[in-house]
Amino acid sequence: MSTAYPLPTNLSTTTVTNTASLLRIVALGLISAAAIASRLFAVINFESIIHEFDPWFNYRATRVLASQGFYEFWNWFDPTAWYPLGRVVGGTVYPGLMATSGVIYNFLHAFHLPVDIRNICVLLAPGFSALTAWATYMFTKEMKDESAGLLAAAFIGIVPGYISRSVAGSYDNEAIAIFLLMFTFYCWIKALKTGSALFGTLAAVFYFYMVAAWGGYAFITNMIPVHALTLMLMGRFSSRLYVAYCSWYAIGTLSSMQVPFVGFQPVRTSEHMGALGVFGLLQIVAFAQLARSHLSSKQFQNLLTVSVVAMGVVGTFGFIALTYMGWIAPWTGRFYSLWDTGYAKKYIPIIASVSEHQPTAWPSFFMDLQLLIFLFPAGVILCFRELRDEHVFVIIYSVVASYFAGVMVRLMLTLTPVVCVSSAVAFSSLIDTYLDPTQPEGEEESEADSSNGTNTAATPSKKEKAKKPAASTSALNDIVTAATSQSSSKSKSKGIWGLDTRLIVIVNAIGMLSFFVFHCTWVTANAYSSPSVVLASTNPDGSQHIIDDFREAYYWLRQNTPQDAVVMSWWDYGYQIAGMADRPTLVDNNTWNNSKSHIATVGKAMSSSEEVAYPILRKHDVDYVLVIFGGLLGYSGDDINKFLWMVRIAQGVWPDEIQEPNYFTPQGEYRVDDRASSAMKNSLMYKMSYYRFAELFGGNNAMDRVRQQTMPKVGPTLDYLDEAFTSENWIVRIYQVRKEDLLGRDLKSANAFAQGKKKKKSKPVSRRKAIPV
Amino acid sequence: MLQCWRALTLFLLVSAASVFAASSLSFENSAIVRTVDLGGSLVHVTTTFAAKALEPKASAYTITLPEDEIQRTSWLEVKIKGQQQPLTVKYGGAPADGKFYNLDVQLPNPVEVDSTVNIVLETIQTHATYPWPERAAQQDEQSLKYNTTLFVLSPYKTNVQRTKVKSPSPEVRSYTTPKDVDAFTLESPVTKSGATITYGPYNNLPVSATNEWVTKNQQLIGIHYKYDYPVLELTQVKRVAEISHWGANLNIQDDIVLYNAGPELKGHFSRLEHQTQSFYKRAAAHVIPALSLHLPAGIHDVYYYDLVGNVSTSRLRAAPSVPKNSRSNQYSVMELRPRYPLLGGWNYTFTLGWDSPLADSASYDASTGKYIVQVPIMTDVPGSVVNECEVKIILPEGATDVEHVLPFPAVSTEESTHITYLDTLGRPVITFKYKNLTTKHAKPIYVSYKVPSSAHLRKPVAVATALLGLFVFGMFARRVDLTLHKKTA
Repeated sequence: MSTAYPLPTNLSTTTVTNTASLLRIVALGLISAAAIASRLFAVINFESIIHEFDPWFNYRATRVLASQGFYEFWNWFDPTAWYPLGRVVGGTVYPGLMATSGVIYNFLHAFHLPVDIRNICVLLAPGFSALTAWATYMFTKEMKDESAGLLAAAFIGIVPGYISRSVAGSYDNEAIAIFLLMFTFYCWIKALKTGSALFGTLAAVFYFYMVAAWGGYAFITNMIPVHALTLMLMGRFSSRLYVAYCSWYAIGTLSSMQVPFVGFQPVRTSEHMGALGVFGLLQIVAFAQLARSHLSSKQFQNLLTVSVVAMGVVGTFGFIALTYMGWIAPWTGRFYSLWDTGYAKKYIPIIASVSEHQPTAWPSFFMDLQLLIFLFPAGVILCFRELRDEHVFVIIYSVVASYFAGVMVRLMLTLTPVVCVSSAVAFSSLIDTYLDPTQPEGEEESEADSSNGTNTAATPSKKEKAKKPAASTSALNDIVTAATSQSSSKSKSKGIWGLDTRLIVIVNAIGMLSFFVFHCTWVTANAYSSPSVVLASTNPDGSQHIIDDFREAYYWLRQNTPQDAVVMSWWDYGYQIAGMADRPTLVDNNTWNNSKSHIATVGKAMSSSEEVAYPILRKHDVDYVLVIFGGLLGYSGDDINKFLWMVRIAQGVWPDEIQEPNYFTPQGEYRVDDRASSAMKNSLMYKMSYYRFAELFGGNNAMDRVRQQTMPKVGPTLDYLDEAFTSENWIVRIYQVRKEDLLGRDLKSANAFAQGKKKKKSKPVSRRKAIPV
Repeated sequence: MLQCWRALTLFLLVSAASVFAASSLSFENSAIVRTVDLGGSLVHVTTTFAAKALEPKASAYTITLPEDEIQRTSWLEVKIKGQQQPLTVKYGGAPADGKFYNLDVQLPNPVEVDSTVNIVLETIQTHATYPWPERAAQQDEQSLKYNTTLFVLSPYKTNVQRTKVKSPSPEVRSYTTPKDVDAFTLESPVTKSGATITYGPYNNLPVSATNEWVTKNQQLIGIHYKYDYPVLELTQVKRVAEISHWGANLNIQDDIVLYNAGPELKGHFSRLEHQTQSFYKRAAAHVIPALSLHLPAGIHDVYYYDLVGNVSTSRLRAAPSVPKNSRSNQYSVMELRPRYPLLGGWNYTFTLGWDSPLADSASYDASTGKYIVQVPIMTDVPGSVVNECEVKIILPEGATDVEHVLPFPAVSTEESTHITYLDTLGRPVITFKYKNLTTKHAKPIYVSYKVPSSAHLRKPVAVATALLGLFVFGMFARRVDLTLHKKTA
């Protein structure tokens, strides 16, 4: 057999095995290091700080857990959230994330390593991303081989689609959930392959961990049954499948019910019924198999088939009946919005108002996955070639996750692992083919073997396997030997001649990979590493300038207002206010049960005039109102830009009082300048945002840099609120709600009186203005 | 610091008081001049007693201070005029239900009859002024009020005494004109020239340190003056100094609660006005936009953060390290801006810390085998008072024979242990607590201790043992076969 390049001949097989395993360990170590390092941009560029909104709550809860212990956390009632309702935190969170940090914290402290809990929280996501890389390696190894595993690990380590939710400081459930997802799937595949109850149980344990960590566990709850069902429909029922599924389902479901927030959902809600149904079906099929092995009568087998179908139908109808009787909760709104992208906008504006619930735009697929996005289908097709049980899993996963990723931006995260896996399979097949040194033999034989052509691409890798028996896992071993024994007996007829063709492809492939690395680094550094609590800009001399208005204002609240002062803001800032300012809030980012009316109340207060809003504020004991205003600096994520959602949500509850069209100009434009509609101009939000804004420009035209509109020279006035604090760049503005006038006047006339007689002339005018609202 | 000093030495000195019991005949004050330098948080009072001895070999002089004055005096020093060495002062007890206290000063040389000795009493008063009006709007000016007693009391006869009150600005809003002082003066009882208000001269005062004289003649005077600088108060300072021999590092970290003790903000804070004011460079006197601190030379890795993270608005100009005991005036300058400008009545908390080479503040005494480290009690924030101060000195692990020397006595001293990175037994800690510290108190504490070389090796040995244990466990765990069924090939 001729080779394209010389191979060393004097190496013993043990040397090759050991070297390969050492190289693998080193490579995995380097991949973990790269995965962690690329997530540290945020810490290097800014500081060790918790990012965005939800992580602030997780951080706050973790601090309670770390300082007061697990039981205190479990029973923690937070009176400052959802004032005056409070929140039973222990029963309404997925505690996995906090528990993980708490365990790490206590472990380190037990070894006299007093690491600050904040640093643990900040660095948890990068740390778990290294574990994810390892889990993906294990998973992909089951799909193809170790080299594909390493590629997959490298991909998942740096792919922006995953980094976007796991940079340092992004202390959210997803930070640990993707690791748990991949490891549960790995255990499932392993259990399925070996029929091992141990791995089935392991899958259940990690499934439990996943349930405790992330609401997205429903993805596993449905992926595994769908896989099992598909295998059964393909006629691949086996005792391995039975053992794996039953051990996973039984233990996994029982343990998942231990999480208070999940409770009886696994037996009461539609999302979990699929898993239960497949479990039942498996029992029936297993019984049928058993019966068939004992009674080999053709008629009896037919009878069994009929009864299986009948039971399936009865089960389905039973499920529907139970749903109607109310024993099983129907699908939730979030679920419907997965099938109808317009559903949420119509019925649950609060869900639609979150940017990460929007459908994914095409460019973001490329942004998040780059070259993987076109390797992905190739990998899926390669899975069809062998179509072992685990390949079926990847195929189902790909289809389902692709759909979901198209529906919601945030579900990009569940797509990313399977993209990495199948791209790695495709890419490593390519590299295997072109690195394989064997040259094809004479042409006459190649024609004879052309019927076998489909297999050739896959065989070289097997051949390499045969040369270095590196496969450590026994399960893989027998498959590999089975495959190689047949292929090595035949001589190759098709393939690649010479070194140049190989070099061209390999150099190209390496080029693609390095571009991928550049892309990932660039995206991570520029798009995903901003804490959003701190903004960065550049000084004229090129040095970094930190815009720290949020923390300035929150810290002011914390230091200079009474401990029990209630702060009202739009719900986005609830967690941050609780975390940084330590003050009670009316609404926060936890959009639970009756949040709708609560949030709508805030929306109504913000979108109505002062006179209407004031009783609402007083009724809710609001002391301070906080708004985000980006007009001075050009910060586009401000409240005026979110204002329409407040209007919409308020309109959902009070359609008579708040109407969205009133906030547009007659031409249908959304304006804030002097052409703004009167409802807009009189709304509390507008007034608070632009109060005294025009004066800042000292007689020149005031310019709102976000909306690019020129503001009127005379700004709005406030009668029921006092400006209490405005941050350096005017991003955060805090107003204090006035107490009722001591003389019983309404505050508007009291204010006019205090300002002197000369205001009297203009007073009736302003009154008349207020009436149409 | 006098209160604490008094508390500690009270019992010891009750007996001493009788020894020193000054007879009113031993001295006569030919003149008493008291100068009050008004400020914000701190008021410097210098009183000069020109004492003429009436007895031969008079060596003990008694100074009398009213009760409220002694309550607010945080630092006190008595010297002979023109000499550097401070004199020994002992608490001489208070006369029965007297509103004043005696301080007995031991003169270095006995004074001959009819010769005069000039004794200078220097005190710093804290919390002696208060804003008036108590609330001020953002653009308003800041005025403070200071009250004191008119007469300087003395257990001796006084020929003439006067009190000069120096205001930091010539704009004195008002001052009290004493009444019923015709017995002591024929001229105007008070005169104002520029920023100085002079009470007196008052002539021929009898022995004034008696209850009946005080009740009859003593009266309060108040000065209401404009003050152009912020009134700073550090409500609480917690300093932790950690000594590391392995790192040759002295880490000092201060947790500071800053409070603007000026007039409380009337109405609300308007950013617009604040920006206008700073644009036209007419910042209001009672707004603290920034602090400038003098940190030691040679520091590095300075950090400044608060409860919500790093504060990016600070500048440091670090000076290079200077050798120990050299009389260099070098220091690093830290310009520190709170997150928000501190208006009257506002609080801000922050943490400021830095590392410095241990060699700059420690030395080894080969004769006793002891290390001596100096740790400053506080960083001086000019013109501010520290209400409560806690200094915690963390010594290296295994330090023994710990001794300390304080520049002035502490309210309390505690010893405990502190466990940090990879410690096995913990490190000895000494904690000192102080109250009402001022500029004059920024002096070092000296701590000496021994560290045996075995203690130096404790940490690497502990880590090595732990790792060794792990590897040994791994070695055995790998060789134990737990499978139930042997795989058949």
